[in-house]
Amino acid sequence: MAADQNPSGSTAPEEASKQPSKELKKKKEEKKEEDLSDEDLALKQQLELYVERVQDADPGIQKFALESMRQEIRTATSSMTSVPKPLKFLRPHYGDLKAYFETMPESDLKKYLADILSVLALTMSAEGERESLKYRLLGSETDIGSWGHEYVRNLSGEISQEFANRQYEDLPIDALMELVQQIVDFHMKHNAEPEAVDLLMEVEDLDLLVEHVDSTNYKRACSYLTSSSSYLPSPDDILALDIAYTIYIKFDDLASALRIALLLDNIQYVKQIYTSTNDLLLKKQFSYICAQHGLALELDKEWIADEGEREILQEIANNAKLSEGYLTLARDIEVMEPKSPEDIYKAHLIDGRGSASSSLDSARQNLAATFVNAFVNAGFGQDKLMTVASESSNASSSLGWLFKNKEHGKASAAASLGMILLWDVDSGLSQVDKYLHSNDNHVVAGALLGVGIVNCGIRNDCDPALAVLCDFIEKDDTIIKIGAILGLGIAYAGTNKDELRVRLTSILGDSKSPLEVLVFSAVTLGLVHVGSCNEDIAQTIILAIMERSETELADPLTRLLPVALGLLYLGKQDSVEATAEVSKTFNEKIRKYCDVTLLSLAYAGTGNVLKVQKLLAYCAQHLDKGEVHQGPAVLGIALVAMAEELGLDMSIRSLEHLLQYGEQNIRRAVPLALGILCISNPKVNVMDTLSRLSHDTDSDVSMAAILSLGLIGAGTNNARIAGMLRNLSSYYYKEAGHLFCVRIAQGLVHLGKGLLTLSPYHSDRFLLSPTALAGIVTVLHACLDMKSIILGKYHYLLYILSLAMHPRMLMTVDESLKPLSVTVRVGQAVDVVGQAGRPKTITGFQTHSTPVLLAAGERAELATEKYIPLTPVLEGFVILRENPEYQEDH
Amino acid sequence: MGQGTPGGLNRQGLPGDRKHDGDKKDKKFEPAVPPSRVGRKQRKQKGPEAAARLPTVTPLTKCKLRLLKLERIKDYLLMEEEFVANQERLKPHEDKNEEDRSKVDDLRGSPMSVGNLEELIDENHAIVSSSVGPEYYVSILSFVDKDQLEPGCAILMHNKVLSVVGLLQDEVDPMVSVMKVEKAPLESYADIGGLDAQIQEIKEAVELPLTHPELYEDIGIKPPKGVILYGEPGTGKTLLAKAVANSTSATFLRVVGSELIQKYLGDGPKLVRELFRVADDLSPSIVFIDEIDAIGTKRYDAHSGGEREIQRTMLELLNQLDGFDSRGDVKVILATNRIESLDPALLRPGRIDRKIEFPLPDIKTRRRIFQIHTSRMTLADDVNLEEFVMTKDEFSGADIKAICTKLACFFGGAQDEDFKKAKEKFPCTRR
Repeated sequence: MAADQNPSGSTAPEEASKQPSKELKKKKEEKKEEDLSDEDLALKQQLELYVERVQDADPGIQKFALESMRQEIRTATSSMTSVPKPLKFLRPHYGDLKAYFETMPESDLKKYLADILSVLALTMSAEGERESLKYRLLGSETDIGSWGHEYVRNLSGEISQEFANRQYEDLPIDALMELVQQIVDFHMKHNAEPEAVDLLMEVEDLDLLVEHVDSTNYKRACSYLTSSSSYLPSPDDILALDIAYTIYIKFDDLASALRIALLLDNIQYVKQIYTSTNDLLLKKQFSYICAQHGLALELDKEWIADEGEREILQEIANNAKLSEGYLTLARDIEVMEPKSPEDIYKAHLIDGRGSASSSLDSARQNLAATFVNAFVNAGFGQDKLMTVASESSNASSSLGWLFKNKEHGKASAAASLGMILLWDVDSGLSQVDKYLHSNDNHVVAGALLGVGIVNCGIRNDCDPALAVLCDFIEKDDTIIKIGAILGLGIAYAGTNKDELRVRLTSILGDSKSPLEVLVFSAVTLGLVHVGSCNEDIAQTIILAIMERSETELADPLTRLLPVALGLLYLGKQDSVEATAEVSKTFNEKIRKYCDVTLLSLAYAGTGNVLKVQKLLAYCAQHLDKGEVHQGPAVLGIALVAMAEELGLDMSIRSLEHLLQYGEQNIRRAVPLALGILCISNPKVNVMDTLSRLSHDTDSDVSMAAILSLGLIGAGTNNARIAGMLRNLSSYYYKEAGHLFCVRIAQGLVHLGKGLLTLSPYHSDRFLLSPTALAGIVTVLHACLDMKSIILGKYHYLLYILSLAMHPRMLMTVDESLKPLSVTVRVGQAVDVVGQAGRPKTITGFQTHSTPVLLAAGERAELATEKYIPLTPVLEGFVILRENPEYQEDH
Repeated sequence: MGQGTPGGLNRQGLPGDRKHDGDKKDKKFEPAVPPSRVGRKQRKQKGPEAAARLPTVTPLTKCKLRLLKLERIKDYLLMEEEFVANQERLKPHEDKNEEDRSKVDDLRGSPMSVGNLEELIDENHAIVSSSVGPEYYVSILSFVDKDQLEPGCAILMHNKVLSVVGLLQDEVDPMVSVMKVEKAPLESYADIGGLDAQIQEIKEAVELPLTHPELYEDIGIKPPKGVILYGEPGTGKTLLAKAVANSTSATFLRVVGSELIQKYLGDGPKLVRELFRVADDLSPSIVFIDEIDAIGTKRYDAHSGGEREIQRTMLELLNQLDGFDSRGDVKVILATNRIESLDPALLRPGRIDRKIEFPLPDIKTRRRIFQIHTSRMTLADDVNLEEFVMTKDEFSGADIKAICTKLACFFGGAQDEDFKKAKEKFPCTRR
């Protein structure tokens, strides 16, 4: 890479001037010397003299000549477009010097000459000959930097070629490596970390980097490594991250090291980080980061010796403080006031027919309102439908809204209470409790689900959810069973709880269980053991699939069975292969579907281009037997490609092609894929595409597009999407299905009144929370068959989205973990990896005081020097420590 | 969008499933979806161009990370190519497109007439005027892209019912499109005698920022925006600009300062705006304004409207050079032989970052120029160019060329005597 930097630019006029006709050429060459200015001429003659003297017999003269020549070359300055003059004048003598070099006896002088030849080769040697390197290796091995940056860059380029060559021919590389050491040292000292890292990657010896970084440049080197890692092929990416981790540990930047450890999903590293510091405050920050990531941390004696400390840290890691922090944020932003669905619909803004029809109350309308109410007031603990009534003393009206819903609608309504009290375990359980004793099975089921939602992402030592829900699993009634099972899945997602495995596998193994129960047990197992690669569970689910009859497999709900299986391997790449092999023996109906789903989930969030290609190939087929596996393939493209920004943008392009050429079953999945790519990140071009699709003639496409509009705007309060949805609500006022989707989307856009996000990525879009992704994937797969699942009686699947919900806030707390208001700058994040100097990391910032909301692609930095944050990425909870060196300036 | 091509979009869904709902939708009439925004220009982010634009890759420095990122983009593009090629092979779209196109053509009718859109009434109706005068209330056909319509734009109308059947999108002022250099000039850097320093300077300031932006990023500076070439007449300013145009692959727009002076008030500034807008659209590009003193002279209290208009044109130019909107990959070269009379605001760093002086050729350069011009002539053996090279007369490059050509005109070949004659004969421009 460095080699092509050769300053060939200015040689052009010179060379070009040789072109004019031949008869003149001779004349010209004679006169060429005269073309030079006096100064240049003197230099040229001087150099020629040196060249002559070098070939002199007397070593003294030789030495003197060489040294002077060296001096000339070193002191020559040049602009970036031209070759330094001494090099230019020495060009004609390169051959002579080379020939003479061969005849020279072995001596110091010979080495000296080798050095000079090496520099001359910079401009002279033909492409691919690597003469510069050859002479360098023969040379005196003095300080490499003294010949200038360009020389070193050229040399690095030649080394990487030579290295590949030698490796191919199995030649020793020791001499090369010594040179590499020197070059890396030089680069690291001169702010050229990317070049040093590049060279080490080329010679496959990144370990060397650890020795050469110092406290001033390790951050830049590591950020370069980490951002390269998402584009490197496996296993180089893991290696790069490992090195970055080692460097962070070396410089005691533990919070950064923790981010890498979480990305690598390496619990040993996390442990090492915890044990390598005695700073309790820092450990608290670690716990906050782990909690946000959704890592179920079990701190024990080996991690933290002190009992009291351990308790505090465990509490933070259990997310117990989330509700408190969220409500503080809400109070600060002054959005505690509950909102009713009508506040969201804003029917008065629609002119004409839309507003007129809304008075017509149907069960589905009420159901939609239930969901909207739940999404909008999620986590606030108060609303205008469910909790208001319960506070009033009048017992008959307390259940008012609940009974405006019918049958399974009641289940969702009861569960919505859980959503409203999200994360607030204590008061949540007591409020939901009253529905647990209802006579109506649907209400009980809903309440059970609600219990699960309240506990979503919150872990507690006494496991209240498990205590409540376990009894109900054994009940005979299907809906109650489902409620309890799904509740457990939401409450314990990502915890790997063994107790649940035992209980649920027995249900799965029971051939008498109804299909619905079976499916939900499998999904719960998948959620709880997400990314665990647990063979036992996989075996059980596989058996359950195999035992189903053809008719049962035709049930729309069965499409969640492969998803459950895939969740076990979420993001685990190759580990899925054994299971994928087994899945090939499945019934024809589900085989392909299973295959594609496993592939897409196992590589979700990896950015693996080969898998995208494979999935695209699935989409390229034209099917005529009514197979449905192309839908998950489209979703899979989005899942795999969402890992990094480039892949994301490029896959949006690819999806555009799928829309153009694909058949209906592909087109139906495209909006959902767009939804997951830009979740909670309303990009204008995606918004436009979805808006276009929301008027598609195929009702499934338009419904999926409407829902996706909600997904991309989730929690943003985006006025443009809200406007589009309002228009859609009047456009589709006659079609119940579409209207339901519009309402759900409206609820999503105002999710948590704009305080929440569904994005599974956090920590500067660096870490992917597996539980959040699992939640989204499950819901989207359910949406692939919108009519029979979401619009049918399984609408409560939407509550699984609660797994992905988290506040998009920056909450700064002081050393006693009390909220502390400081000024921060919030602006659009800029990619500064590998840039020279110290560029700004954010652009177009505004100054706020915390707590603040962070939108997608935004970054925050402290505006005051009074405090030092304990984590490099300001997101979620951040502990601030007083800066001891801070001085108030007056 | 809605019901435009029912058959096309709902190509028989899968057998058996979801049929009833789809059918019902096809039958009943649905009014077209109102466009989200009518009549506002949205040239930039919409349409296929926006989709075709590739994401930007950071960092700009040449490094492995950049290579990896670019390779990632390439991978995706290859996949797209493969997919599209596959689909095209399976069911060629061309026939269908052809069919659709001919249908649209039938609806449009022939011949069409050109008119002006006066006002949009609702999403399907508008008031139009044709060139002959009267205004009509007409309908807009469904296949016209309503997002692009805006009051005042040129439209195609049906010849009888005058309904809007299309719109003319080429709004680039023809004056500007003339300025674009389509055919590269023949002069190359090789045809310039001497001026090495100037060539290097212009390369650094104009070509390098377009071809190797990373060099500037490396050092952490913003590349220069433009240069001004100044010096005695005939010293090669325009020649150098031609050489730049010859060697670059960027769009090259050339204007002479006097072209920017227009008959009507406001036309001059508008032309400048249009010029830079086109340059921006076609970026990377180089704008070369020759004889800038035509509009760029120092401001003073002007008495005539014409002078004021010229000054306003210059103010617009100032704004375009370094105004509120940032110019991306647009580099500006100005040329003049009276730099001292230019307005200082025009020359401040940030607008014009480099001033490149073109001195009269010295002896060495003069020799070079003689060589270049005589290289295609058959010279007699006794011609002693040195004599001319060494004269004390101050020749400019143009003078030397004139001597040589004049000579070649007079005589078939050239002898030493002839040269001398030619020199005497030729009215030397030196003062």
